Amino acid sequence: MSTAHSSAHGDQPVMTGVVDGVATFDPSGAFDEHRPPDAALVGDCVHCGFCLPTCPTYVLWGEEMDSPRGRIYLMKGALEGEPMTDSMAGHFDACLGCMACVTACPSGVQYDKLIEATRGQVERNHRRPLRQRLLREAIFATFPHPRRLRLLRGPLRAYQASGLQRVVRRSGVLRRLPTVIATMESLAPPLGPSSSARPLPERVSARGTRRATVGLLTGCVQGAFFPGVNAATARVLAMEGCDVVIPRDQGCCGALSVHNGREAEAKKFARAVIETFESAGVERVVVNAAGCGSSMKEYGELFADEPEMAQRAAALAALVRDVSEVLVELGPVAQRHPLPVTVAYHDACHLAHAQGVRAQPRELLNAIPGLELREIAESEICCGSAGVYNLLAPHAAEPLGDRKAANVLATGADVLVTANPGCLMQVATAFRRRGAAGSAIAMAHTVEVLDASLRAVPAETFQKRSLLQK
Amino acid sequence: MSSPPTDPALQASEISDVLAELAKACDDQVRRAEDGDEVGGLPARLVAAPGSTREAADVLRVAADHRLRVVARGHGTKLHWGATPSGVELIVDTTRLSGVVEHAAGDLVAVVGAGTALATLQEVVGGAGQELAFDDPLGSTVGGAIATSPSGPRRLLRGTLRDLLIGVTFVRSDGVVAKAGGKVVKNVAGYDFGKLLTGSYGTLGLITEAIFRLHPRPVRSHHVTRTISDAADIGPALRAVLASQTVPSAVDVDWPAEGPRQVSVLLEGTEDGVEQRADAVARLLDTDVGDGAAPPWWGHYPFGPDDVAIKLTCPLTEVGTTMRRAHARAAEHGLSLASRASAAGVVHAATPGDGPPEAVASLVHELRAGIAAYDGSVLVLAAPQPLREGLDLWGPVPGLALMRRLKHELDPVHRLSPGRFVGGI
Amino acid sequence: MATTAQRRPRDLDRLAARLRTVLGEGAVITDRNRLRTYECDGLAHYKVTPAIVVLPHTTAEVAAVVRACVDERVPYVARGSGTGLSGGALPSAEGVLVVTSQMRDILETDAPGERAVVQPGVINLHVSKAAAPEGYYYAPDPSSQQICSIGGNLAENSGGAHCLKYGFTTNHVTGVELVAPDGEIVRLGGKAPDPPGYDLLGAFVGSEGTLGIATEVTVRLLRAPEAVRTLLAAFPSTDEAGGAVSAIIAAGVLPAAVEMMDALAIEAAEAAVHCDYPQGAGAVLIVELDGPAPEVEAQFGEVQRHCRDNKAFEIRIAADDIERALFWKGRKSAFAAVGRISPDYIVQDGVIPRTALPAVLRRIAALSDGEQGQGTEGPSGVRVANVFHAGDGNLHPLVLFDESVPGEAEKAEAISGAILDLCIEYGGSITGEHGVGADKAKYMPRMFTDDDLDTMQMLRCAFDPLGLANPGKIFPTPRLCGEVPGRHKGVHPLAASGVAEVF
Repeated sequence: MSTAHSSAHGDQPVMTGVVDGVATFDPSGAFDEHRPPDAALVGDCVHCGFCLPTCPTYVLWGEEMDSPRGRIYLMKGALEGEPMTDSMAGHFDACLGCMACVTACPSGVQYDKLIEATRGQVERNHRRPLRQRLLREAIFATFPHPRRLRLLRGPLRAYQASGLQRVVRRSGVLRRLPTVIATMESLAPPLGPSSSARPLPERVSARGTRRATVGLLTGCVQGAFFPGVNAATARVLAMEGCDVVIPRDQGCCGALSVHNGREAEAKKFARAVIETFESAGVERVVVNAAGCGSSMKEYGELFADEPEMAQRAAALAALVRDVSEVLVELGPVAQRHPLPVTVAYHDACHLAHAQGVRAQPRELLNAIPGLELREIAESEICCGSAGVYNLLAPHAAEPLGDRKAANVLATGADVLVTANPGCLMQVATAFRRRGAAGSAIAMAHTVEVLDASLRAVPAETFQKRSLLQK
Repeated sequence: MSSPPTDPALQASEISDVLAELAKACDDQVRRAEDGDEVGGLPARLVAAPGSTREAADVLRVAADHRLRVVARGHGTKLHWGATPSGVELIVDTTRLSGVVEHAAGDLVAVVGAGTALATLQEVVGGAGQELAFDDPLGSTVGGAIATSPSGPRRLLRGTLRDLLIGVTFVRSDGVVAKAGGKVVKNVAGYDFGKLLTGSYGTLGLITEAIFRLHPRPVRSHHVTRTISDAADIGPALRAVLASQTVPSAVDVDWPAEGPRQVSVLLEGTEDGVEQRADAVARLLDTDVGDGAAPPWWGHYPFGPDDVAIKLTCPLTEVGTTMRRAHARAAEHGLSLASRASAAGVVHAATPGDGPPEAVASLVHELRAGIAAYDGSVLVLAAPQPLREGLDLWGPVPGLALMRRLKHELDPVHRLSPGRFVGGI
Repeated sequence: MATTAQRRPRDLDRLAARLRTVLGEGAVITDRNRLRTYECDGLAHYKVTPAIVVLPHTTAEVAAVVRACVDERVPYVARGSGTGLSGGALPSAEGVLVVTSQMRDILETDAPGERAVVQPGVINLHVSKAAAPEGYYYAPDPSSQQICSIGGNLAENSGGAHCLKYGFTTNHVTGVELVAPDGEIVRLGGKAPDPPGYDLLGAFVGSEGTLGIATEVTVRLLRAPEAVRTLLAAFPSTDEAGGAVSAIIAAGVLPAAVEMMDALAIEAAEAAVHCDYPQGAGAVLIVELDGPAPEVEAQFGEVQRHCRDNKAFEIRIAADDIERALFWKGRKSAFAAVGRISPDYIVQDGVIPRTALPAVLRRIAALSDGEQGQGTEGPSGVRVANVFHAGDGNLHPLVLFDESVPGEAEKAEAISGAILDLCIEYGGSITGEHGVGADKAKYMPRMFTDDDLDTMQMLRCAFDPLGLANPGKIFPTPRLCGEVPGRHKGVHPLAASGVAEVF
């Protein structure tokens, strides 16, 4: 609304004539003209505040500028000509991109689109402190590169196996190392023998009648640190009647880059993935990492300014499904064997909020005989993983991880189940911080639980293996 | 202050002029004070009975012009409550401000003159199957009840008058008419003066009209009553009923000076509903449902006009303890004590007004010391002379400085019920 | 004598520095971008960027902030979650915004004592969540309960859908610790009822931040009802739905909630939350009964009968909590959901006697179909969606318009004001729960006389003679408080004679 309400008495300016929507784009402000956040989308926000309690940074700090509503306000200011200051960039950077606010918003504000456009602006128009820049470069030189990640496995595993890890952790020497190395060290999951990292075959045939041919994205972190999840995914899909195509040289899907405003890099990765799966002759592209799935479903938007590529990208995006979606779509054929464990299911943000996938994983888990499913309090609040957020902003990620761990443990479940490698690493780290209290709970991906049930793995074996994985 | 102070404002020579002005202001309904026209033992000089808000305003303007100190009086049932005023020249008799002005049955709202008997109001709205969900222990007028805020058993579910009063018209000490609230229950426009006036002992303004929210009168009421032989069982009995799903309208305890203690639970609602809930309460209290009649003590204060009337408040988990402590302390002082409690956290107690003043003062003092631990309060509502002299009626009053400032704004020269309220207000 | 009008120019930098020494660097905001995120509350078309925002953590810190403001004669405004819909937390441009969002601990839940003690920044719904394991809840439930703060609820005397039966915030607060406008910390009430003296607590609740800042609040907890039954009834139009409401109330049933939405509001809710209300409904009613199971059972059939008698063409009964939540989801998200069907809109909040509902709705329809609104000429053509707490006559007309069409905003504003005039004409109120704030101060003289308003301001002067606490709210014109307490012009004869003490 814009009616110019005037002050009833001189001293107090009761109202300015500022327009509620956003005026025309002012290029003198923080943003350049390359895809600034859409002023119309900014104008959709009615400032009701319903997003606040679901925003992890608002939950932590209780400050307006670190809430979705506040960040939209900052975007609006920037569009109207406010300069890109350290504080403004800092509040955008502090957003985990969990999209819980998108779920919570009754007005349908597309914060996901807004923050993605804004991240690109920050990346181009803001110079972060040297330390942050180096850290970001280090991360993006490693994470989106499955091979480089795999190479890290050897040293990390040797380090863990030698017992040095415990010594180092106890010695506090980490405190003197740069934060990033300390954080990466603390997040690395215990790694199994290298045999478990053996590459999967390029094609796994359906068990029984073939019902579909699907491609499998193996991902970066998932592939390197949780190879068991990929193997289980392939097995479960095959047992449910899918031919599974697993292209050998698939790279990063680009999710980490998209979510951090690195548009050009993201496009490069995405183009390769699109090409790989376009030629694979699959009906569905199955993803078992929530962050990857949500980005791939939005490939069309990524290439919005390249019409031809956008079309191809959208076509591929239409095939992308989370593994739980595909399995529910297909319906069960394989026999479920009893798996008497108590499970707390954690909604990965990029599955629940970004993709709206909440019911399917629960449906799959509930269909396992003997399994008891428990809900986690504050389930809508992010665990703090958020892609590489826990590396970039450990001061926020750590308390969020602790909060999540406490809520998970409060369920009294035997196993924490979630569908994202980042969440698993983040919450496991928080469990470790809790010492004995946190060590009693096992962790697994949804598809691993299903795999155990389909293969009639005894509950104890399953739990023991899942404990090891932590 | 047993003797009236010399009157600096109203000289004998002035009286006839003042009478004439008052007569003009309120349609000749004015007279010189007679025997019984007194407040807390203090005789007044004049009595005026305005018949409308406008007349009331004119009367207070005359009073202001002549610096008369004013006390409002309805049925006079609680005129002995509170401290003795520092002086009173004019009693404003509110009983001509009477009548149910409007009963909007479909909206469950009634507009009523301040001098109307509560009983009359109940009769009128009762005709439409409605009620003001307020127990009137003393037969008050509307204005008198608002000014002193007595309460009965059903405060547990419905709250006190403050929770039922949705609009009020009153006359300030300078004769200006003001109103707050309105005729709709849901209303947050402006400050809630109704709440400020409730229990203000006439020190902020003269209430002339009130608007209440009403409730549908329940189809069925049933009391489940049992005798409590061990006083230690009072607290657990109250807690059991409150924690149950029976939603009682009232849970009161009677502890007479002599005779058996009783707890009685009032259930109100539909025929079937009340029957089942009464069964449930009877089981909880390990007694039978009975005939459903109210016990004889129900809805009455334990004190008479000659008693020291004490009101204790406490968290609702402490009602049993508060009663036991009060009776134990009274016994130590050789004082007879009768008490009645609402499970909402209010205990009314009575000790005879002819007891030794030091003993009564010590009792009040000790009760206050005991209740301080859980931010309750102990008020002496009324005490006969000369007991009142040695008593601190109010005890500590948090926020007193703000209250004094409020009084100062609305009645800077303390014309209305001066000295009758907390902190000498 | 000091008044707002006579404040000296002040050094806000000096104030900020002082606040930093008290609160610490991180709790005092002066960065322009950050300040701007606080420039409005839930009523986003009023914007004032505050000079300083502070985020105190304790009562002592709030008191220190207020004292600093008093020393510097700088106005201050308290803000909770910033969801208010009357601009009650609109900052002062040369003032301090005191944000209570860091004070968010539930200090105690005492289920047997039916009380909870909370800090002002605690979110309304969190109180109920904390009490739920023991079977208790906090009754006032504004639609924004998932985010609005208890402190804000206190300031606005918030209601909610269930206040028909259970009352408002003022009926559910038994104690408060507050920082008075002079910086003094005052406790009023506590767990026990009926604190002695004036009911300042009753005046404080709903005073919209003009009488001080609540720093700790004791609220009542209620036993969670044994049974809750909810139905959704679809009617051809609001007339029939209104008839059903009257019939239910006339029958002596006191539902926990009776909510109505008209066709346009239903359309918005469908677009936003896919609540799947019956097709083709001109109005829906949500009626909820709660209480002891036998009572609810006895009355639920009666409610259904009254709906059918008034031409309800479909009645759905919530089978479980999930379905009940879906019924409510449409209603509770209705305001923001209107953003889906209209680029801009005004949320109005007025009250009428329940029995006037059909008449007033017709008048509102006439306004939007072309009856002259104040200051408008000819057919307005402005669409109005209606959402109400029908049980207590609390209307929430949503006046839709498009900012980008010249003249529409003004027309919408005129219709919105005309609706308030209707409320007053029918003996109602200009606000049932959103408060007066900055938005409706100008309407106060339509509802109250100058004397009424002047009297109310005497209360304000008693608390805040300097006029620093949330200035510009509630009252269209500030009253110059005559005297600062403690200093008087002269001695009155009565006082001089020793008859009247002046305190």
